[in-house]
Amino acid sequence: MTPAHLHVQGVVKRFGDRVALDHVDMLAQGGLCAVLGPNGAGKSTLLRCVATVLQPDSGTISIDGLDPSRERERIEARARLGYAPQDAGFDTRVRAFDALDLMAVLKGIDDDRRRRRIVFEVLDRVGLGNRSADRIGDLSGGMRRRLVLAQALIGAPSLLVLDEPAAGLDPDERLRLREILGERRRTSTVLVATHLTDEAAICDAVIVLGESTIRFSGTPAQLATRASGQVWVQDGFPPPDVRASWQQADGRHRCLGRPPEGVELVEPSLEEGYLIVQDLRSTPA
Amino acid sequence: MTAIDQARFDANWRAITAELDAPRPTRIERLLRAVRVPTHVVRMIVATPALRRSWYLSVLAVVLVGLGGADPANRDSLFALLVLAPMLPVLGVALAYGSAADPSHEIQLATPTHGLRLVAIRSVTVLVVSIAIVVPLAALSEAARPMAVAWLLPALAVTAASLALMTFLPPRQATAAVAVGWFTATLITRLAADDPLAAFTAVGQLVAIGVAIAAVAVAISRRSSFENLEYAA
Repeated sequence: MTPAHLHVQGVVKRFGDRVALDHVDMLAQGGLCAVLGPNGAGKSTLLRCVATVLQPDSGTISIDGLDPSRERERIEARARLGYAPQDAGFDTRVRAFDALDLMAVLKGIDDDRRRRRIVFEVLDRVGLGNRSADRIGDLSGGMRRRLVLAQALIGAPSLLVLDEPAAGLDPDERLRLREILGERRRTSTVLVATHLTDEAAICDAVIVLGESTIRFSGTPAQLATRASGQVWVQDGFPPPDVRASWQQADGRHRCLGRPPEGVELVEPSLEEGYLIVQDLRSTPA
Repeated sequence: MTAIDQARFDANWRAITAELDAPRPTRIERLLRAVRVPTHVVRMIVATPALRRSWYLSVLAVVLVGLGGADPANRDSLFALLVLAPMLPVLGVALAYGSAADPSHEIQLATPTHGLRLVAIRSVTVLVVSIAIVVPLAALSEAARPMAVAWLLPALAVTAASLALMTFLPPRQATAAVAVGWFTATLITRLAADDPLAAFTAVGQLVAIGVAIAAVAVAISRRSSFENLEYAA
């Protein structure tokens, strides 16, 4: 399977007077692409537009050259898509197997035996193969999130759109999620919205959204280097004009901002690069 | 020993275990399969517990039929039954569709199955269940027997009208608007003709057919609204 080619061009989305996306552009084909940003930056709106459940007010989205604003092409694009929204779930009265079986039906898999095999494959993949007959109400919050991820994997989609997939998962479950994402990066284009920079660190590309616009687009390493020369460690309390600082386990302070003379500069992290990118726009020049 | 194709063996083994591990179909599933409803359609119906509310409403209708039949001479109770019965499928659809009723609604929107097809299957299911329960019981009631089927075309019309309006408004608002319209129309007809059952005569049935056809046309022409989270919320 070839990963989908995703092209977002000049997308604008408004809700009443509020602009949720303001001329957003992005290009992706294959690999993992993280969409980072604070709450309200427009991450979920961007993912909903890409997942074809929201129609942009202007601009275009193309999935393998298909235009989702046209009905026939939208249906075709959806056949290549796996989508796991942030707040979605399933009716708690339904059995895990039945919920995924319904999703397989909606994805156009009509053959009973093939559908059952696929449903068990994705249930096994997310570690819920032995809970197939359980009602969803009997599953833990993390298991329910995994079930939402499992439905997105049905049909081996070439474009996976995952909104905060790690939310509510314990460390073991996060590792399993990383394994799954690692597998999918070879066969799919995976768009992952997250506010966790450690999730973004495993991605091939990162987009930083802030106040409805794209503030950065590049690799995780490139994002980290945005803070180069602005991160240092020192003994004693940091100067008052630092942008951020925290005490490390060794008692020294790690600081982000304009370094004083003679301090020990260190390699910046992805999180520090992210903070600088967000900060640059919100601080007047 | 003969060498086996491991990949083929694994695929066959997975297929066998999937057959063995699949949960047993529920009673409703087995019933629907027995009457030859395709398995994938059965799944669309059964995996939607919100539809059960509409079945409960149908049971409520049975109670209403009983009340209507309590006094064969009472045309007012028959009027109440005929006005309320067509709204049951509409309420069933409204309660089973949209983000408020179904937490997987947004996921379902992103699948290749057309939103209108899904909502139409659910509407038909609710309509069929309501008919299956109300008609036989109404026929058993001495008072309701003459009008046992008089509510069917109005039910079709108001269900189609609610689908059409759902392309403009969220499901519950659309249903509320249709309910207000339906109650108003039947009351005005009753007052104008000085007959409680005037809306259910042959002319009323013809009007219901016209409304149903027009509403279906609107729903089909605006079907993209069922594909968009902003409308189909």
